[in-house]
Amino acid sequence: MPQIKIYQEDEIPSPMKKIWHSFSDNPFAFAGLWAVIGILLLSIFGPLIAPYAPEQQDPHALLLAPSWDPAGTVEHFLGTDDLGRDIFSRLLHGAHLTFGMALGIVVTALTLGFVIGAVAGMMKGLKSSILSHLLDALLSIPSLLMAILVVAVMGPGLNNVFWAVGLALTPQFVRSIHQAIHEELQKEYVTAAKLDGANPFQVFWYVIMPNVWDTVIIQTTLGISAAILDIAALGFLNLGAQAPSPEWGAMVSQGMDNLLTAPWTVTIPGIAILCSVLAINLVGDGLRSALSPINN
Amino acid sequence: MARYLLRRLNLFLATSFVLFIVLFIVTSHFPVEKSFALTGLHSPNAQQIEQIEKNYSLNDGQFSQFFSYLQQRLSGDLGISATSQRPVIEELASVLPASFELAAVSAMLALTLGIPLGVLASLSRHKITQHTIMAITLTGYSIPVFWLGLTLSLWFGVQLGWLPISGQLNLLYEIEPVTGFVLIDTLLSDSPYSTSAFIDALLHIILPAITLAVLPFTVVVRITRAAIITIMDQTYIKAAEARGLHTSRVVLRHALPNALIPVLKNLGLMLGPFASYAMVVEVIFAWPGVGAWLVSGIYQRDYTVIQGGVLAVALIIIFISIMIEVLYTAINPLSRKELYASN
Repeated sequence: MPQIKIYQEDEIPSPMKKIWHSFSDNPFAFAGLWAVIGILLLSIFGPLIAPYAPEQQDPHALLLAPSWDPAGTVEHFLGTDDLGRDIFSRLLHGAHLTFGMALGIVVTALTLGFVIGAVAGMMKGLKSSILSHLLDALLSIPSLLMAILVVAVMGPGLNNVFWAVGLALTPQFVRSIHQAIHEELQKEYVTAAKLDGANPFQVFWYVIMPNVWDTVIIQTTLGISAAILDIAALGFLNLGAQAPSPEWGAMVSQGMDNLLTAPWTVTIPGIAILCSVLAINLVGDGLRSALSPINN
Repeated sequence: MARYLLRRLNLFLATSFVLFIVLFIVTSHFPVEKSFALTGLHSPNAQQIEQIEKNYSLNDGQFSQFFSYLQQRLSGDLGISATSQRPVIEELASVLPASFELAAVSAMLALTLGIPLGVLASLSRHKITQHTIMAITLTGYSIPVFWLGLTLSLWFGVQLGWLPISGQLNLLYEIEPVTGFVLIDTLLSDSPYSTSAFIDALLHIILPAITLAVLPFTVVVRITRAAIITIMDQTYIKAAEARGLHTSRVVLRHALPNALIPVLKNLGLMLGPFASYAMVVEVIFAWPGVGAWLVSGIYQRDYTVIQGGVLAVALIIIFISIMIEVLYTAINPLSRKELYASN
């Protein structure tokens, strides 16, 4: 039985609820959210459900086709590579390397970028200008060049990817947070709060930040997808994860030798990267339209 | 405006200076002897050692070392490549045009296809058309470029055999480099087979250019669409419609010029990822550009090549992004109002 409404006015949802409603109204974004949760679970529990170890070689099943191919078997669901390693298990083991590491990099870069961006945004004049211009110089070095510099100094390896991608991402966070805060600072409600006697910290945290969080959230989703693509690209160029590692980009580069005879060794890890980045971008897109004031 | 241009020039000089400092610090951390990292001479004789120490002030403090370094680099001395023993600046001059050619063709592809599609996506009232265009652009935005390149070359290059997948030009043709841009050189060349060489160069550039154009294309479509949707709600568009103008005229004449402003701004922001992607694409398609050169430099631990390449690419990107910013201010009078008010 439908509830009888005694009062005429509807329930007024809180802003968070409003955002959630407009986010969940978008089926694509919602599907993306489920996919992201799924990949997150896989990157945590993937090694537990993987049927084989990532480096286990089966000499009787070299370059086996995926199971839907007439030549494939269901024991090796997504086929095997040239050393007889099970691709499905390697994907599961690689999820936390590619996806988990992207999350780690973004969290680190975001924390750092948030602090610098907030300080630079709240300051005025020369100091703020110097901070932001210094970062412009860093921002102009593409992530791959940064990675090449890091590799030249420290040698290739997955740890160095962390530094390379993190160093390339931080300026983007700084820049966007700086700009958002700077724009809000010019607005009149901030002046009103200042006239009310709020100190700079109160102005920053209680007045400006509520209006900047959406920028932070959108930048985070953009950052995660960029980080995944960068990690994979470095793995592909052999500058990041090294040969036996099941990192997805490195898997593509290891499959390159057999591209013509066994295209699935390249296609399947590539599709895994595509799907995870797509899921994150769907969520980011949904969040952006849910957060933009026109829709609310 | 003059003051603004001066400030941008200042910004360019300041950022380049910071870049030099970063490179100087990185150079001193390379895991090789400093004189080798600076010049690329593997086993210099006594005379050369003396020359190097004098040129780079290696026996003095860090500051005078930095200024000698700056002086050497600015005078065009980037050292010699340890693998090919040729001056880095010569090699750089021979690989840069190929990269510019690829980047220019992809950027043109992205803009000429992206802007009309973005306008169409914003005007169409069909849910299906809108969703399809958005789905395509979102997929294009998420696709790993190295995988896309491999897949395209596997399909169109190997299985269908339609297009060549490596290099700039078939080795059969010998074209005298004039500008360094193969597409132009083949046209300028007076050899009897210049037309077929031009067609061959065109066929070679198709796959890499399409692979590289996917990212800017998707961004351009999305930004154009968002901008047009915002602009179509504004009163001056309603006024134009009320005057009875045709929709195409309203869009092309009144809405599009304003919609291109955010596109321009985002082009500047996209330069970094675009350059990264270009390097990967050059490696995949064996395109003889600066990206492939730099990546082979890192494989061979050719430290002078790494420094020279990073310096050149970063300087070019700083320069282009500042040029885009200037252009943005020049065509957008609204942004000029804030010029003197802030930062």
